[in-house]
Amino acid sequence: MLYSYHFALLLLGASTVAGFFGALLGVGGGIFIVPAMVLGFNLPMKIAVAASIVSVIATSNAGGSAYVDQRITNLKLGMFLEMFTTAGALSGSVLALYLRESVMALIFAVMLLYMAYAAFSTRNLDDRRIAAGEFAKAQPDRLTGFLSLGGTYRDLAAGRDVRYVVNGSFIGAAIAYVAGIASGLLGVGGGVLKVSAMNRYMNVPMKVAVGTSKLMIGVTAAVGSILFFMAGLIHFVVVGPVALGTTIGATVGTTVMNRLHSVALKWLFAALMLYLAYGMLVRGLNAAFHIHIPNFG
Amino acid sequence: MPQRKEVETEQPKTSTEENVYAGVYRVLLAGMLVSSVLFAIGIALALLHPAFFPLTAKWVRGHYHALWVLHGIIRGNPLALMMAATVLLILTPVARVVTSIYAFAVDRDWKYVAITSIVLLIMIATAVAGWLGLR
Repeated sequence: MLYSYHFALLLLGASTVAGFFGALLGVGGGIFIVPAMVLGFNLPMKIAVAASIVSVIATSNAGGSAYVDQRITNLKLGMFLEMFTTAGALSGSVLALYLRESVMALIFAVMLLYMAYAAFSTRNLDDRRIAAGEFAKAQPDRLTGFLSLGGTYRDLAAGRDVRYVVNGSFIGAAIAYVAGIASGLLGVGGGVLKVSAMNRYMNVPMKVAVGTSKLMIGVTAAVGSILFFMAGLIHFVVVGPVALGTTIGATVGTTVMNRLHSVALKWLFAALMLYLAYGMLVRGLNAAFHIHIPNFG
Repeated sequence: MPQRKEVETEQPKTSTEENVYAGVYRVLLAGMLVSSVLFAIGIALALLHPAFFPLTAKWVRGHYHALWVLHGIIRGNPLALMMAATVLLILTPVARVVTSIYAFAVDRDWKYVAITSIVLLIMIATAVAGWLGLR
């Protein structure tokens, strides 16, 4: 691979855009940067996944620190769920070492499709729930009560403090484990799974879920990165532009994010997911079964 | 306005929990800034001398020597700089977890010391498993 201006600067640019979108949508840049590296730069899937998982740490640091600074993140909830995401990341990254690249591309496409679906199915609920004060009315379950996992945050878009009670610890932990597997296997943060688990099943407001998920993503991605680093899959010249670009993009994206309502974001998010899922499907089917379907670039 | 009955469940944030927030914030910010600067210098230096790099795990692992990295950083070798930045980036969340354990211990919040220690143990187990399994 020739490390030219062309390659490095384009990769830096693509990663910046991926990091920006990732931060805006509350997902790690990995969801965009892995398809960009595989489809746009023709890099091997495992090199792309490994570079992405390191850049996901960078995104998490950049995005996560801003949420922590604004006290949107729920640290205790994050640390509770991290037990399950890190265990999942260990399982997933070990799996990634042994799976064929075409199979990983197909799994990636399936994950993108699920995320597009998740974006549509959770659309539009949050603003109404905040307005009705629903987040404060729920009952904690035994474990979340024992660990006192509730909180308050300042929502700039709604212009008020939002208080919330956390419950659903069992299903939250289960989904966190699956999100960890996705993170280790596919080089993404698994943020969408974590955010939807917290928002839908644990009664956590969307922005708190996003900020908390960012924090967990860093630790989760570190587990995958450690294993890939040992395996020699983290290629420094690829990871450089990718990590720097996503950091810059995520920093800008996060400052914009808390000023936006969540609704418009989800539409943009779903459309992009579908487009990238199709691309990965084309690539995976071609490599695994020699099935050719038309590619729209 | 009818009075709305709300269930009080969470306590207000203690001063030590504020310390956890502040500590976590500083670790995240420092890791991000230093690794970004190293990456930026590494990329800039690499761009000065465009070259071919093999895309194989064997080639990457051939550079895992502490002395080579140290010499490389001093001499401004772009590969060594980007490797150092990568390692630093990977260690940032580890440092964040350690910081959290310390802050929770200061607060005598043993439940969270235990929870966060389990996370740290999984990270260490991954490194050990990778080291033993991939030699």
